[in-house]
Parts: sequence; C-alpha cells; structure tokens
Amino acid sequence: MTTLTVNGIETTLDVPPRTHLADALRETLGLTGTHLGCEHGVCGACTVELDGSPARACIAFAAACAGAVVRTIEGFEYDSVMAELRAAFTAHHALQCGYCTPGMLITARDIVLRIPGADEARVRRELAGNLCRCTGYQGIVDAILAVLAARRG
Amino acid sequence: MKAAAFDLVRPRTVADALAALADGARPLAGGQSLGPMLNFRLATPERLADIRTLAALRAHAETDDTITWGAAVTHAEVEDGRVPDPTGGTLRAIAGHIAYRAVRNRGTVGGSLAHADPAADWISALTALGGSVRIAGPEGEREEALTGWMSGAFATQLAEGELLLSVTIPRPRPGARLAYRKLCRKEGEFAMAIAAVLDDPARAIRRVVVGATDGAPIIAEGADAGPRAHAAIDAWPGEAWKARLLHVSLDRALGDIAA
Amino acid sequence: MADGGSGKGVGARLPRKEDDRFLRGKGRFVADIRIPGMREVAFLRGPIAHARIGAITVPEAHRAAVFTASDLTDVAPIRAYSGLKGFRRSDQPVLATGKVRHVGEAVAMIVAATRAEAEDIAGLIDIAWEPLPALVDMAEARATTTRVHEEWPDNIVLETFVDDDLSDIAATAPIVIRRSLRTARQCMSPIEGRGVVAEWDGRLDQLVMWSSAQMPHITRSGLSECLGLDHGQIRVISPDVGGGFGYKGILLPEEVALGWLARRIGAPVRWIEDRFEQLSANANCREHAYELTAYADGEGTLLALDCEAMVDAGAYSSYPFSACLEAAQIASILPGPYRFGRYRCRTFSVATNKPPILPYRGVARTGVCYAIETVMDAIAEATGIDIETVRQRNLVRSEEMPYTNVTNKVFDSGDYPEALRRAAAALDIPTLRAQQASETGPVRTGVGLSIFCEQGAHGTAVYHGWGIPMVPGHEQAQARLTPDGVLELRIGAHSHGQGMETSLAQVAHTILGINPAAVRLVHGDTALTPYSTGTWGSRSAVMSGGAVAAACETLAKRIAAIGAHLLQAEAGSVRVEDGSVVAPGGASVTLREVAHTWYRAPQLLPRDVDPAGLDVTAGYKPLSDGGTFSYAAHACAVTVDTETGFVTLGRYVIAEDGGVCLNPMIVDGQVLGGTAQGIGTALYEEMPYDGEAQPLAASLADYLLPGAGEIPRIAIEHMETPSPLTRFGQKGIGESGAIGPPAAIANAVNDALRPLGARVDALPITPRRILEALARAGR
Repeated sequence: MTTLTVNGIETTLDVPPRTHLADALRETLGLTGTHLGCEHGVCGACTVELDGSPARACIAFAAACAGAVVRTIEGFEYDSVMAELRAAFTAHHALQCGYCTPGMLITARDIVLRIPGADEARVRRELAGNLCRCTGYQGIVDAILAVLAARRG
Repeated sequence: MKAAAFDLVRPRTVADALAALADGARPLAGGQSLGPMLNFRLATPERLADIRTLAALRAHAETDDTITWGAAVTHAEVEDGRVPDPTGGTLRAIAGHIAYRAVRNRGTVGGSLAHADPAADWISALTALGGSVRIAGPEGEREEALTGWMSGAFATQLAEGELLLSVTIPRPRPGARLAYRKLCRKEGEFAMAIAAVLDDPARAIRRVVVGATDGAPIIAEGADAGPRAHAAIDAWPGEAWKARLLHVSLDRALGDIAA
Repeated sequence: MADGGSGKGVGARLPRKEDDRFLRGKGRFVADIRIPGMREVAFLRGPIAHARIGAITVPEAHRAAVFTASDLTDVAPIRAYSGLKGFRRSDQPVLATGKVRHVGEAVAMIVAATRAEAEDIAGLIDIAWEPLPALVDMAEARATTTRVHEEWPDNIVLETFVDDDLSDIAATAPIVIRRSLRTARQCMSPIEGRGVVAEWDGRLDQLVMWSSAQMPHITRSGLSECLGLDHGQIRVISPDVGGGFGYKGILLPEEVALGWLARRIGAPVRWIEDRFEQLSANANCREHAYELTAYADGEGTLLALDCEAMVDAGAYSSYPFSACLEAAQIASILPGPYRFGRYRCRTFSVATNKPPILPYRGVARTGVCYAIETVMDAIAEATGIDIETVRQRNLVRSEEMPYTNVTNKVFDSGDYPEALRRAAAALDIPTLRAQQASETGPVRTGVGLSIFCEQGAHGTAVYHGWGIPMVPGHEQAQARLTPDGVLELRIGAHSHGQGMETSLAQVAHTILGINPAAVRLVHGDTALTPYSTGTWGSRSAVMSGGAVAAACETLAKRIAAIGAHLLQAEAGSVRVEDGSVVAPGGASVTLREVAHTWYRAPQLLPRDVDPAGLDVTAGYKPLSDGGTFSYAAHACAVTVDTETGFVTLGRYVIAEDGGVCLNPMIVDGQVLGGTAQGIGTALYEEMPYDGEAQPLAASLADYLLPGAGEIPRIAIEHMETPSPLTRFGQKGIGESGAIGPPAAIANAVNDALRPLGARVDALPITPRRILEALARAGR
C-alpha cells in the first residue's frame, strides 16, 4: 500500500512495486490525462508535477512515491497560470492531436513560474524534454512567450 | 514494455540501506537511468532499495578546501544553486544541460556517477576537478578518487553491497578555471564528445578528461596533459569521425582555458 | 476567400473547437478506454530478422494464455495486392507462420490481467529458431539467391518502367549530371502509438473495436476479409488519435488478432503499442535509392531525366496501400513542378527483411523532391547559373495552367515561379552570398532552395489505376439538424490533429450561417458515419469539405422550404443566413424553430414538405479525379560547423499555396508541423540496421526526433490560388510541409561544403556523414 496525495486528495494505492506512477494514475485512479509516449523518459508526454516540480511519471515508480504530492493535468483545472496557458495555447494553435499537450502544459507552467525572464531561445531549450510531432513547436513557443510577456506586464 | 516484478524497500538510514543491499537489493535513487532500464527489462533486479530520500544522501557540506554533495543531490539542485558550486557557476551550467528539467528534478549526482554512462556529464566534469566519492559498505566507509572510478562503460569501483554516499570536490583556487565542452546536436541528447579541462595554477594542476569514449574517460595530467590526451584519442579504437569530435571538443576546452 | 465577414466561415482563423478537451486532459485516446473485465495483450515478437520458426514451447501453466498461428486457423492472412502488371502478391500472416521475415514480427499473442504479466509470460516462451540469411540492404536483396518469400523468383515486388529513348539527348547535351542518392529508413513516430481495444458484443453479434486509426472504414473492410465476418458484424471506432502521419493508415495484424481473440475468450482485450515495439518492429518508411542522370543545356534548361530508383519495401505488402505504391509513385512524380519533355524512369520495389513499408506524410514526394532538387543545384553548379534562376527556367509557368506534365499529371492551378521568387526574396540570398564570400573559418554558411507540387485528394481513376484494395469514390457527409437546432455532421474521414471539428463547422457556417459552436462533428465510428477511405493523401479538406458543403446546401433548401411556410412567404423568396430563414420583408425564423417544427410540431409543416426531413446524406467528388496540386517553395540558410559536422538552421522561409484555406490557422499548423518532420528527415531521423537486419535505435534517445530547439522559427509567405476543381477552391495540403525540407537543407549543406570540395549524398545529414565527406575531400 502506498499513500500519496494526488490532485489534493490523499490516496492509497494498492499496486505492485513495478507499476510506474503513470500507470497507477491512469489505470488505478482513472486520471487518463497523463499520457504515455515512450516509457523511457524522453518524450515528456507523461510529465506530471511531483513534489512541486515536473517529473516523468513513466520512470517514477508509484511505490517509491509514498508521501509525495502529485498533480496531474486534471489537478490544474482551477489553476490561474494554467488558465492563461490554455487560452494562449488555443490562440496560438499550440496543439493539434493533443496527445503531448498535458505534459507540454505542465512543463510550460514550470517555465513560466521558474524563468519569468525567459526569451525564445531559453523557452525552446526548456522544451527539449517534451516532444511534439504535430505543431513544429512554433505555436507552443509563441503561446508560452505570450504568457510570459503578459505576466511581466 | 513494463518492468519485471521486483520488491521495493525504503530504508530510513544508511545502515538499513546497507542491510538491504547485503540482502540483494540494488539501490534506486532518482531512477532516471534505472527506470528506463527496468521498463526495457534490461535490468531485472529482484529487489530495489529506494535511497532517494535518505537524509545522509541529501545533505551537502563545505570546508575551506572542499565542497561535498550527498549522493542524492539532484541535478536541478545544482542547476538552481541550491547546493554550493565550487567553480563559481560552471557546474551549475553543466547541470542545466543534463537531459531535461523533468529528469534533472529527479536524477541525482550520485546516481549518475554510479551508473557510469560514458557519455554522462558528472563523470567527466567532477573527475577533472579531482573529485572523490565516499562509499559505505559492509566493511565500513572508504574514499575513491574519481580518476580511477570507471573501469569501463557502466563499470565502476563500486562493489556489490556498497552504497555511494557523497562526492567531494576540491575547491579550485583563485585564478583556476574549469573548461567544459560537450558536443551534442540536440539539447538533452547524450554527448557525442566531452572534454573537461581544469587549470589550477595555484595548485599546479592541469587535468584533462575526455569523455563519451564508449568506455572509461581518457585522463591526462600535467603541463602537457592536452597533447597527451590528443595522443590518447589518436590511439582510441573508435570510428574516425567520432575521434575527430573528441579532438574538437578537447581543442575547444583547451582554447577556453587559453582564452 | 472572404468568410462573409462573420469571422467564422471558410477562410477565418477560427480557434479550434477541439482544443478545450485536450487542454484539460479530457481527450479520449484508445488507451483511455476502460471496459469492465478487460484483459491485456502483449505480443511475443521475433528477435531475428529472418528465421524459420521451430517448436514453440509454452509452459504448461500458461497454455491457455498464449495463442500462435496454429490457433488462428480460421483467420485469413492480410492480403494487399496491386493490379499493376508484374506485382508479386504476398500474404502477411496475422501471427508469423512458418518463419519470421523481419525483427518484431508477432509470433505469439499473450493475454493476462495486466500488460506486465503478459510480458512475464512472453518471457517464458521458448522458440526454436532456425536463422536464415537476413536481407538488410535492397541492392543486396536484388542480387542474392536468398528469398524473403520462397515462392518468388527473386525479391522484386514490382518493377515499373517509364520508357523514352534519350540517346539523342545523351549524345548532344552539353551538361550531364550524375548523382547517387540514398534516404534513410525512418519511423513515423506519432507521440501516441497504435492501440486496439476489442470486445465481442453478444447481443448485436458484433465485434466492436476501438483503434487509433486514420481509416476506420478501411480497417473494418480489412477485418471483414481476414476474420470472415460481414461488415455488419464489425464496428470500428477510432477515438481521439494522437498523431497519424500514415502510421495508422493501415490494417494492423494486431487488429485482426485482437478481433479474433475477443470473440475466442469472450472478454474485452486491449493492446497498446509501446515505443520499443514501434521502433523495433515498425520503422517502416522513406527508404529510397536513386541513380540519376540529367541532361541540360548551357542555359540551365533541363532537357531530359533518366532515373533508376529503388525502394526498400520490407517484408510484406501492407493493407491497403500495398508494397509498391511508394516506388511506383516515384516514377510518376519525380519530374516535380518542372516542364522538361523527355523522361525515363525504372523503379524497383524490393523486398527485404525489414518492416513492411507504409506511406508516410509526403509519401514518395519527400524523396523525389530531394532527388530533383539535387539535380537542379547540380545544373546550377555546372552552368554557373544561380540556384533561383536555374529553377525559374524550368518551372511550369502560371500561364500554362492547367498543365499536363511529362507523366500526364494535370497541375490544376498556381504560380510556381512566383512562389519561388517570394521564398528566395524573403531569404535575401545576396546578403547570404556576401556572408559566404567573407568566410574563411570552420563555420560555413549555405543557402538552399526547393520547390515542389503535391497531388492531393486524388480519387477514383487514379487509385483504380493502382489496382489496390482501396479505391476512393464519392466522399459522403451527413448533415442533420437536431430538434433543438444543433447541426450534426457525420463524415467517414477522421482527424488525427487536423482540426476538422472546427474547419468543417466553418464550412457549415458558410452555407447555413449557423454558429460553429452549434455544429457537432461525428467522425471516427463506422456505425455512425458514411463509408469513407478515411484520412490520408491530403484529402479531407477537399473531400469531406466538399461533401459537408453539399449536404448543407441540400439541407438549406429543406430548411428554407419549411421556414418559408412558417413565414408565410414564397418558397423561393427566403434566404438561409446567420442561423435563420429570412423572408424578403425581414421577418425570420431560426433554425431551431424550423427544426422544432419538423421534429416536434409536424402539424405545422407544409403539406408538400420533403419527407426526407432535416437529415441529408450527400456525396461529393471534385471535378477531376486527378487531384489538386498545392505547391510550395522552401528557402533556407544553414551554417555548417566543419569541425564537428553540426548543422544549424538559420532563416527558413516557405512560400505556400494551398488554394483557398478553410482555416488558415490550421493550414499554417499543418505546414509548420510537416516542416518539422521534414527537418527530422533531413538531419536527424534514421533507423540504422546491422548486418543481420537488427534495428539499432531502440529508444527515442537513439532515434532522434527534433525538439523545440532543433526547429527554427519558420516564416510562411501565403499565396492563395483557388483550385478550379474543388468546392471552395481549396487544395490538399496536409503533407506539404514534410516534402520540401530535406531537399532545401541538403542543398544548403552542400552549398556550404562546396568550397571545401565535399558533398553529402544521403539523408539524414548527420555529423558522421559530413565529417566522412570532408575526410574524403581531404579535409
């Protein structure tokens, strides 16, 4: 039994140690907004917030996350920064198939909060761990830059 | 693929961890290298000991001459300056280019040193700085200099049942420089070539480390360390184009020192 | 086209209706589907590229969980033929039968409570392999006596030949260019892999299958053929699809296997492809080899082109496109947008022990653009004419449109020279040339151009000519007004990121004036939508866009008739606009009121009302089956670090003409995303194989997909020449972006290397290839 906090709710999971966090979230808790793209930590589709920072849910094992605080895309429903990013992603056509989008948003939110002065080159560098096969990234980069600019006022 | 079945234990102390390792467990720190290997079933340990949150491994300490990072200090903690950087920023910058932020948030310095991927950053950078690691095992604790740490790709002086506790980095003296060049085409990609050069005139140290050699790094010391490292690359058995990249990375790092 | 000023119709940059669910993690992809009692499937895949399968030993405890070819006796193999003369048929077994012909071919299907447990069982199965020589290279496969398919006389799937006697030109042409080019085998790599959930519905006596599929109706036809079920016994649902690009435009052996399994074990089953399976078993596109000879005059005019091309078709013929489409298309589209008159081209589709080839975004176009544009730069170099001028001298001109080219393609409309002029001008080549002239150090600038046209939405006559299992006919759409005035559109094509929920709502808005927010698109379900070949070949904007327009036009007439009656106006005098029926005097009734009348208050309907009601099925074809031709010019600057072989993309400009854009924002997105994939093809993506045909890139750390840092900011210059063939003048453009980059980038890299005497003639252009080329040049 592993107890952790998922989207603000203390949750007890009964999964074998080999179950990675993404599978536990998806299969046990039904939080299917966390997507699996590679299961080896490269593509970023499974990125969640783990103890306040983005992390790969596919190579973190649920049993090793006892006591952790996890936020998935579903947990940002009422987050104001995420609301700004959602609006910007739509305005800048930053998604097509939508599969990479939840992980991309969690990384984008971290960029906005951690590096408020980020320029385009920095945003592109920080996005290295989130692959998108549809957009060519331009809309994603523009959306994040727009939120950064708006927050700088 | 999904990982093969394993047990997970979560020791509270180093002693507990050592007991777990003696019982056959393999240490799991940030899991950013081991996790993929488990998912690919390239690693199929029966038992893992989660050491990521052990207090002793999370600590860091400073003396006048050294800085010590616990083995479970993360790359992101180095990147963000949450632990001291004896080079005044070079190690922070190196940390900031390891894999991706989400990986850096979990991946640990000790895990990287223990995993010993030839293309990884800390092996080369901390070896150039003259770092050493502290190891706990059934026989007690010991120190190993990083210059002799790797015996080959993914092979180190760490024995079964031993736990890497920390890495200690001598403080370069004023006027010293660490040059670090990593050649990779894509941010986060494993390096195609690495060169790290420490020039510390006050201590009369010049140390060159060439990494991403598919094996233990090339290490050369002394005033002619640069030419000797180039000669070692010439003798390196890999493909010519990769040797050329090693030469180029070394030239550029030496150039940074000279600049 | 103006969108009528509402900002919501055809031509408007309307934000996408589908975004909201994805931005909240509420998209529903196949792996998100849960059915009570669902079991998980893993496949045991052959680890050897070519081997006979001996005894398969399954531990006693797991016998009931493991299924092999010997269990699937009532399943027919996948059979994708072509009617082209000389095509050799091969069967693709659903589970390997007798031998395996590529690494990753499924040999056994294991069902368990979890995927991990199924993989555990797979690890316990022992197979006695008898290895056979593996054919890894297509040239070698043409020469050897080893056969991928024993019953064939050689390993040639199909040979095609466009013949012309070039001897007079060969004897006299002042410029003769020869080039040998290779392109790498790639993996299309949508971020979501394939996946299947299958359930047998006993009440309906029906297989219900959810699959991440671009062509659910074709999947259903293929399942019917393999499983011996009639179409009514099969329902295929394709939910949200996490990227396709051709990777999901196929009948999967796994779909057939799970369809069989769900019925056999009486439980829902699920298989989700993982990245290791995708990379190791399904690097299945793009591998071409060209031997080109081009003849030109001293003014840079291309006189004739002679080509022998090979495509590594892999081990089987995939359904429905077959193993020969790629090579045969090379022959028909290599001439590109140019107007030379003499042409010879021999192509070979060669079977090897690699995964069966599939058409990837751009299909053969990416390779042929690289080939012909390499020729153009070679002519420029040989004649001393600049790279833009030499192309301008050979391009089809706008006043020649519609133009029938040397392979009888009919280019519908456009101004190719203007696209090139705009792209080149935006790049500012003179400044780059001045920069180059000043360079003496290791970092060299290069300039590259490419231009191409892309046939899209080609139809019946073209595909009947290929003779493959799928021939697109009229595309149908259904338009239905619900009792509360919502417009439901149903199409058989499917989105995998193209935003059709938005763009087709814009089409409906243009016809009916209905608010796009009140339009719902139903697609991706064979039970709910009209038959369609699906989404492939840059066709949905033209075909489904045309069909939706046709259905809405008929619906508008029926709405008008009822509305006029309610307004007590002459039937012919009312207009349907802005979501209402408006009488000449300005009185109006809303679509909602009209719909309410038909469904809920029929006593108010006119006596002569059309009894078909507010539910219309309409079919559509463009005026020609030959397809639309969108086109684009790509112009880019690169810097090459000649010490490391690293290439950095500088300014990148695209002048693009996709005709009238239903939604220009979505079109830009397609172009930008395609271009990023083309950059991957140019610089990064390659599945290397060892001498035993073992794939060497098993993870995304080895198979490099471009990230945000590898893609430059791309500038798009818009042109908009309507197609005379389509409903709104729109052209197919979904694949376009992926076609131009390898040619433009390769030309730019070779431009940078030219002063050093080096040239790279293969994709992707990696540091290794550049450094080896420099080494060959003595650098």
